Amino acid sequence: MPNMKKSSSVLLALTAVIITVFSVWFVNRPAPLEEGTWDDVLAEAETGGYSLITTEELADLYQRDSDLLLVDTRQEWEYRTGHIKGARNFSMEPTWWERWTRADELDEFLGGDKDQTIVFY
Amino acid sequence: MAVSLGYKNVYRDPYGFPKWQEHGLPIDSSPAGPGTTTGTASVTPDSRSLQGWAMVWTLLGIFAGGLALNLTPCVYPMIPITVSFFGGRADREKTSQIRLIAHGLCYLMGLAVTNSTLGVIAALTGGLMGGMLQNPIVLAAVAGVLVIFATSLFGLWELRLPGALTRMAGKSYSGYFGSLFMGLTLGVVAAPCIGPFVLGLLTWVAGMGNPWLGFLVFFTLSIGLGLPLFVLAIFSGQLQRLPRAGGWMNWVRMLMGWVLVGMAVYFIRPVLPDVFRVGLPVAVALAAGLHLGWLDKNQAGSRAFPWLKTIVGTACLVMATFWITSWAMKGPGVDWHSYSEQIISESISRDKPVIIDFYADWCTPCREFEEVTFHHPEVVRQAEDDFTMIKVDVTRAGNPLHERLLSKYDIKGVPTIVFIGPDGKERKDLRLVDFLPPEAFLSHMAGLKSASSQKQ
Repeated sequence: MPNMKKSSSVLLALTAVIITVFSVWFVNRPAPLEEGTWDDVLAEAETGGYSLITTEELADLYQRDSDLLLVDTRQEWEYRTGHIKGARNFSMEPTWWERWTRADELDEFLGGDKDQTIVFY
Repeated sequence: MAVSLGYKNVYRDPYGFPKWQEHGLPIDSSPAGPGTTTGTASVTPDSRSLQGWAMVWTLLGIFAGGLALNLTPCVYPMIPITVSFFGGRADREKTSQIRLIAHGLCYLMGLAVTNSTLGVIAALTGGLMGGMLQNPIVLAAVAGVLVIFATSLFGLWELRLPGALTRMAGKSYSGYFGSLFMGLTLGVVAAPCIGPFVLGLLTWVAGMGNPWLGFLVFFTLSIGLGLPLFVLAIFSGQLQRLPRAGGWMNWVRMLMGWVLVGMAVYFIRPVLPDVFRVGLPVAVALAAGLHLGWLDKNQAGSRAFPWLKTIVGTACLVMATFWITSWAMKGPGVDWHSYSEQIISESISRDKPVIIDFYADWCTPCREFEEVTFHHPEVVRQAEDDFTMIKVDVTRAGNPLHERLLSKYDIKGVPTIVFIGPDGKERKDLRLVDFLPPEAFLSHMAGLKSASSQKQ
């Protein structure tokens, strides 16, 4: 019986070690820049409940609507290097965790005017 | 995201900024300026003393910090000594609870006085104390003491009070002096171990330069640190009367021993050569895991005990694996040049900003910079494309070129990272004197770069 215990505990340890190696590799692997296909983007917009806008349409809107709120969701350093004139920076990783934890912060950032036209990029 | 908050007119531009820029539409950039960058704010106390409520809150915070220090293994060696000292006392003299409490208080005071002396010295000598605690020899000594205590916990020798000490305590007036003396001595044992954890506090006190405040701050810290020991002292009489604990207690002692060894490695690591910097922690974690999980033969009645052993052992093995694989997977770091006027002038003539890192092996934030920030893929990419990276290694003093650079750039200590714009002038507002995570460092780089693009 004690021998049984021993082998199962060794098995557990080995499994844990292998999982660790794999996950470290997974996180650190040189990831190719993931360009989502257009279909993915469409599907995402559908579930998110927002509309898509092309650069040309945005440029048009940009000229007409002076109240337009532009939100730059990239990292702060990216925003610093260059951003659409008049856009404001709200760095956000596209993970559900960020969306969940920073919802209030985003609401405050957007100013609470629910009818305002907002464009994220 | 915004939609679920109730906003109706929400759009997303999936092409983002690059396409916008391509179309030549209006863009803007904001160089990093003071106040907007995070992490550069070094706490510079503007007054030499604190007043009123600020003082009370600060001290409360420090007290809580002292309590938290009990989570560090620094107090482990003190636990068996405390129990044996007070437990023995309670048995021998049949002391009443009140007298035991008085003894405990004396003990606590002794501890506090030793640590407060540390604070006063720090306040009087300025930054010297902090510098000393980062000295390789001091670090090696601290690590050595920890390992010695660890071997005691492994059962290689019994940790007991030196005979002379016990006799002195025995002779003294009604033993109160003895308790005080015990506290004083144990403070000496614990202080070097706690030192590195309170480095920030020491520097702060040194900055204030007020010995009274130094005393008060460290006195408060020690009260927090000693409080659990005080409670332990009072109840150690009862502890002794508990039935002998079985094998699990021995195992817990081994565990504490390994934690001490781990901490010794943590202290000594910054001054080790490269191979051991990864190898030693991995070796220790492996050894600890195998020992605690499988080799140790202690048994206990509880059904959960074998599981606990397996889990702790596995956790150690996982840690070792994690370190070794992360090290193996680590990408290339920033490619550093060594300092030369020629490289700098060449770089400036090509409108390329220069970043100079003043670095030393024994400085922990420097190492952190190298291991985290300067191995971040985006930092490495940008550094290669748009910057000239120069490292000045001041680990060994006495290099005349380095001495000249230190005074030229007015370097007060390491780490210091100097940012030189493409005009050849240093951007003083960007200068860094403490560790900065990759994201914030990129922001600094962007600040330096945008200054150069505006000039064009």
